[in-house]
Amino acid sequence: MASKLSRRDFLKTSALGVGALSVGAVGRGARAQTPTIRCGVVTSLSGANRFGGNLTRRGYDLWAEEINKLGGIDIGGTRYKVEMSYGDAQSNPASGASAAERLIVQEEVDVIFGPYTSGVTLAVQPICNKYRVPMISGSAESPKVWVDKPPFNFGMIPAVDLSSGKSLGVIADSVSPRPESVGVVGVNEPFSDDTAKGFRDGAEPAELELTGFELFPAKADVTPVVTKLKSQNPDIVAVGGHEEVLINFVKAAKSLGYRPKAMVMHYGITAPAFADQLGADANGVMGISLWTPGVPYSDDLFGSAADYDKLSYARWGSHPDYTEAACSASGLVLQDAAARMGKAPPWNRSDREALAKAIEATDIETFYGPVAFETKGDHFHNNTRPVPVVVQITDGKVVPVAPADAAEGDIVYPLPAWS
Amino acid sequence: MDLFLQALANGVLIGGILACLTIGFQLTFGVLHVIDFAVGGWVMLGGYAGYWALTLLGLDPFISLPLVAVVFALVGRALGPLIYHVRTSRYARPDLMALALTFGIFIFMRGGALWLWSFNSRNVDTAIAGPAIQLGPVALPVLRVVAFAAAAALSLAVFLFLYRTRFGLAVRAVAQSRENAGLMGVDVPRLSAQVYAVYTGLTAGVGVLLATIYSVNPDVGVRYTLFAFFVAVLAGLGSVGGVLVAGLFLGVVESLVAIYVGISYSHLVIFGALYAVLLISPQGILRRGL
Repeated sequence: MASKLSRRDFLKTSALGVGALSVGAVGRGARAQTPTIRCGVVTSLSGANRFGGNLTRRGYDLWAEEINKLGGIDIGGTRYKVEMSYGDAQSNPASGASAAERLIVQEEVDVIFGPYTSGVTLAVQPICNKYRVPMISGSAESPKVWVDKPPFNFGMIPAVDLSSGKSLGVIADSVSPRPESVGVVGVNEPFSDDTAKGFRDGAEPAELELTGFELFPAKADVTPVVTKLKSQNPDIVAVGGHEEVLINFVKAAKSLGYRPKAMVMHYGITAPAFADQLGADANGVMGISLWTPGVPYSDDLFGSAADYDKLSYARWGSHPDYTEAACSASGLVLQDAAARMGKAPPWNRSDREALAKAIEATDIETFYGPVAFETKGDHFHNNTRPVPVVVQITDGKVVPVAPADAAEGDIVYPLPAWS
Repeated sequence: MDLFLQALANGVLIGGILACLTIGFQLTFGVLHVIDFAVGGWVMLGGYAGYWALTLLGLDPFISLPLVAVVFALVGRALGPLIYHVRTSRYARPDLMALALTFGIFIFMRGGALWLWSFNSRNVDTAIAGPAIQLGPVALPVLRVVAFAAAAALSLAVFLFLYRTRFGLAVRAVAQSRENAGLMGVDVPRLSAQVYAVYTGLTAGVGVLLATIYSVNPDVGVRYTLFAFFVAVLAGLGSVGGVLVAGLFLGVVESLVAIYVGISYSHLVIFGALYAVLLISPQGILRRGL
């Protein structure tokens, strides 16, 4: 019994197919009638950086949920909901670039929220330039992202060279007697060298004498470095490095009986492994954070920094760090710029260019802190306003200690001798 | 002058430990004629064994060190026949096959460490990590002094074993001529496996010491493989005596260059010295073998 398609079946099938296509057309038409603002998130949801990548997603999503509860972004008196699409960068710059292209070309996103790492951000940046899609990066921290003056990328977190430099001034102004000198060392590798150079360049504005500056290979024995610092005896020792180097540095300093009045390191000390592995020897080491729930800022959507902390904890079950906060604040930047641009979605190429111009002109205060992007220089489109919060390890916990309006504990200075 | 003395002390203390690290490597080369790429891997695993002994059993690394050495010696004893078999294979280029095998073992070790302990650095704390002993202007870290003493004791034990025992005599005989030693009644395959066991035990023991001074993570192995290669080539491949001189030389030069020239130039100067020694004395610093 051979199967044969009758004329009636053919017509039925054709009618169904045409009907399905029509439904699709109606769907697109319907979306056109109630337009949304389409946001793409390119971040590392898998691979080595998935932990940080998911933090960025949490930050972006929390903003989207909160603004949609209000009905969406207010543009000219009408509210437009935001619709999130995700692209997994897989902790790999090339995959990040592909994900961005897919979001822009296939998902037709109007704006992109940027990746977790600077490496992926650098790969996604040219894609945004090509399609004229603004990107707000809630996490990229390398100054290398901004030196080429990316026209469509905007960074929420001050580049690491700026934040490390500013931190010296914050420390110097927060302790008594005021420190007079700083010795800077760092690992000669991307990010760590930027950090060390930031410390070096921050010495003069902080009115500290720079007793020495040295970069060393990542796998070097740090004992000679510590020996040299000991002979120079600066009040503050600033180290740019990753977790392994920081642990070895503290161990070498202790073994030589050398305890400067203050020891400041960037980021690595907030990794749980640092305090876990060093135990009591980690106490007193200072580090830098760009935001804590204690900072004195607020906005209309999230309320105060403390309110944001509570909201994020209720939503995700863990307290947010500065990366999550900066990512949520990225949404606030989009809100503000879209309102100022005043053009209802859907947005075409020239609308997106106008949106980028509006983002460039941002000057707002959020729960995360002030946001305004540089329009010239080596930190082009980087938000350089936030003042770093100095944290210190106290009884194994990371406690904000300066500036005074963000402090949750007393700064220990000068450090006591090794126990 | 104070800084110079401090740099010298730092260099001697760490150089002594690096020398001890290379002794086993040299023995293995002398007897098995294998350049063991996995030497840094044994150091790394020894460090992690010390970490586990501390965190799981509560044993101070200086107490667990002999235990770690014995356990790794047993592992080496089990692995030794395989290394010997590959090295003495009748197939083409057994020397390269052995090199590839140890390289594979090294990769396997690193992968295993990543799986077991992740990327995070681990600190191996010890009760000995007290304040430095102040000798005039020079601060001698207690931990490094004790680690140096332990390394020196291990090195001395190996020397006594080599030059004061019949077994040591057999080892030196095999190093000089495997065929003749075999003809004199030495069980060469068995002895080779035993030497490999001494090497793995000794190297893992040094790994415990290095983990207490620094920290340990899956990537530290490459650094120690590099050190072992440098010391071994400077000493003359197979020369155990030269290792002591070369290890101290490496430690002191690295320390002095780091302080007076710049730490970024350490490896440049060290390798410059290595090439100079190879040109002047290709047999190594002491111009003699095992």
